[in-house]
Amino acid sequence: MRRRSSDRLTAGDRSLRAIALAVTWISMLLILFPFVLTISNAMKDNVRIYDVPPGILPSPARSLSIVVDYDGVEAENLEAAIRDDMVSAMFGVYTRLSRSSIFETRFYGVRGGKTVFYARAHQIQLQMEKDYGIYKGTVLKPQTLLYRDRAERAARAIGYAFGANGLADHAAPTLAQAETMETLMEALGEKFPLRGHLSACNLRKNNALLLESFVHYMKLPQYIYGKDNPRIATYGFMAFVGNTVLVIGFAILAQLLLCSVSGFVISRLLQPRAARLALMFFLGAMMIPFVSIMIPQLIMYREMGAYNNYAALLLPFLYPYGFYVYLFKGFFDRIPHSYFEAARLDGASNLYLYASICMPLSKPIIALIALQVFLGNWNDFFWAWLVTEKQDLWTLNVALYNISNNVSTKQNALMGIAFVTILPVILLSLIFSKQLKESIMASGVKG
Amino acid sequence: MKSTQTGAQTGLAPRAAKERGYFLRQKITPWLILLLPMAFTLWLKYIPILRAVYISFFNYDPIRQPGEFVGLGNYRTMFSTRYYWEAWGNTFVFLALQIGMTFFIPIIQALFLNEIRRCKSAFSTMYLLPTLIPTTINVIIWRWVWHPDYGVANALAKLLGAQPQTWLSDPSLVKFCIVFPGVIGGGIAVLLYLSAIQGISPDMMESAAIDGCTGWKRIFYITLPNIRFIIFIQLIMAVSSAMQMLDAPYMFAAGGPSGASTTQGIYIYNAFNRDYNYGRGSAASVVLLLAVMAITLLQMRFENAERE
Repeated sequence: MRRRSSDRLTAGDRSLRAIALAVTWISMLLILFPFVLTISNAMKDNVRIYDVPPGILPSPARSLSIVVDYDGVEAENLEAAIRDDMVSAMFGVYTRLSRSSIFETRFYGVRGGKTVFYARAHQIQLQMEKDYGIYKGTVLKPQTLLYRDRAERAARAIGYAFGANGLADHAAPTLAQAETMETLMEALGEKFPLRGHLSACNLRKNNALLLESFVHYMKLPQYIYGKDNPRIATYGFMAFVGNTVLVIGFAILAQLLLCSVSGFVISRLLQPRAARLALMFFLGAMMIPFVSIMIPQLIMYREMGAYNNYAALLLPFLYPYGFYVYLFKGFFDRIPHSYFEAARLDGASNLYLYASICMPLSKPIIALIALQVFLGNWNDFFWAWLVTEKQDLWTLNVALYNISNNVSTKQNALMGIAFVTILPVILLSLIFSKQLKESIMASGVKG
Repeated sequence: MKSTQTGAQTGLAPRAAKERGYFLRQKITPWLILLLPMAFTLWLKYIPILRAVYISFFNYDPIRQPGEFVGLGNYRTMFSTRYYWEAWGNTFVFLALQIGMTFFIPIIQALFLNEIRRCKSAFSTMYLLPTLIPTTINVIIWRWVWHPDYGVANALAKLLGAQPQTWLSDPSLVKFCIVFPGVIGGGIAVLLYLSAIQGISPDMMESAAIDGCTGWKRIFYITLPNIRFIIFIQLIMAVSSAMQMLDAPYMFAAGGPSGASTTQGIYIYNAFNRDYNYGRGSAASVVLLLAVMAITLLQMRFENAERE
């Protein structure tokens, strides 16, 4: 069949096929555009995101190792002295060499040929401390960096290792790249003086650091909201994920239970006229747009005390959606009569008919409706936004919206966190793409 | 074989009182089971909308409820303000932009996807991706694209020699900027159109091919006329969803600048949240409900007509 028709390909057919292919590929590129933009911005540092014109690809990430020699440095507390130097050096490099795409700084303190101090920071960690953390709102210079216990706190936030007898795991590089040394000397120089003596340094490419950025972006919620909210401090981003899973999971369970029971009663137990009335009752509720009942719903929920708590987030899912009732009813209508009659003759109860005959047969429709509820509520924003003030109640959408409106939030962190949010959903939908498509096509029968 | 049920349903044989109790139970149990779902629907959906109607007749005071009765006063003042009609105007501009810029794209994508032989399934999966990006993330992405200083949009404008714009801060461009992300197409609509196209009977295609109706002619004379029903339904739904637009204009521009992206949803929200005027907000809610209901009924009528 196919061969015969391809034998008769006309010029029109051929041009149609060529244009179809071209249009489809262009569409693919368009669809990928937001993703490419998100990833590429997430992998830029907070200087490159402001490049004009914006670069398409992130620049390669580099890792800088600094070796500082403490031979002959007299200090009553060597650890504190090196720690201060480490903070100065790292933030010095962060501000003075901000255009060099240094995504990682390693700091080695050496004494007597042995590494006694080692610390390592990703650039995004430093960015977070500058934007939200210890150095929020300060100008980075030695006086502010080392003011009171700031250096100690910063060092603890970054993490370091100190051993007066040498650290076996962290051998410091000994060779110095002359060019890098010069740049570094110039950058730190008098602006960020060190007590030790800069003895070696090393700059090399490591693009894996671009991926590491995402790990640090995930700590953004802790930095922004952790101070006021203990639950965000503990769980961070996962608190929002948890809320979203809870809301959507509850919605799926509630809808499956309520709609299947209603669908069963309407399909099996009611006379046709009563069934039509009951169905209209449920379908009619669907016609009421959210925008119209937003205000009275909020007033009502507040009066009930369902405000700023989980009740407010979950209650709106506790009534059966007319369309799903309709789908269930349609499915139950198609189960052959003989199944029910045989059971009825044996004196089966309604509960038995529902639980042991209808539900085991309904696996396809259950999957379909679960996917529909997920698709319908994954995008939910306004209601959750209206009723939540406490940050630990936020769903992902509300959290992302609030983070994006925070003035300190840089676009790279925002894009990073957005990408991490959709990645699991996209992977899951690629895995279950067949079911997803079937679900959409089946429900499309009726808008 | 089916004696018990038929007997129970018709109730022809008058028997003992015990059996009549059984019939009664047969009649009542379904409603008892439905009681809970119906009560919830009533409580969470119908009562709020009735309450919106009720509140709209009062100069509502949330503390000393319900406040002063003003009859249709809220409606009258609302209809006489320009701001309200501007919100409707914005809705229709949004709708016109959607129809002009984004509505036809999934149709074209589906038509051409259907012509492709290889990797059709992979392509249709890719078309699903835009559905999975929540509005919040879309807004994050596109606000950066429209950024006046660092955005891709102005970089492109400069490249083409055009004047850089302020996009989302420009009252005359903000609606365009909010609708524009839709031009990437894709989404559920592509799959709906595709399944409609695939549902056209192969016989019709065959006989058309024999008559020499192939290639572009087939698209225009066979495929498109056969899916015009679903296109029409999607159009009605586009009207209905444009009336209910809330999230995107709110997140992109909070209804601004100077009210240029204020839709009905944002108007209602502002009446409540900014002006504390519950009565006027509810009046707008009721008018919107009527408009959406009219459109839904229209849709249902067409669907029923098509089925028969």
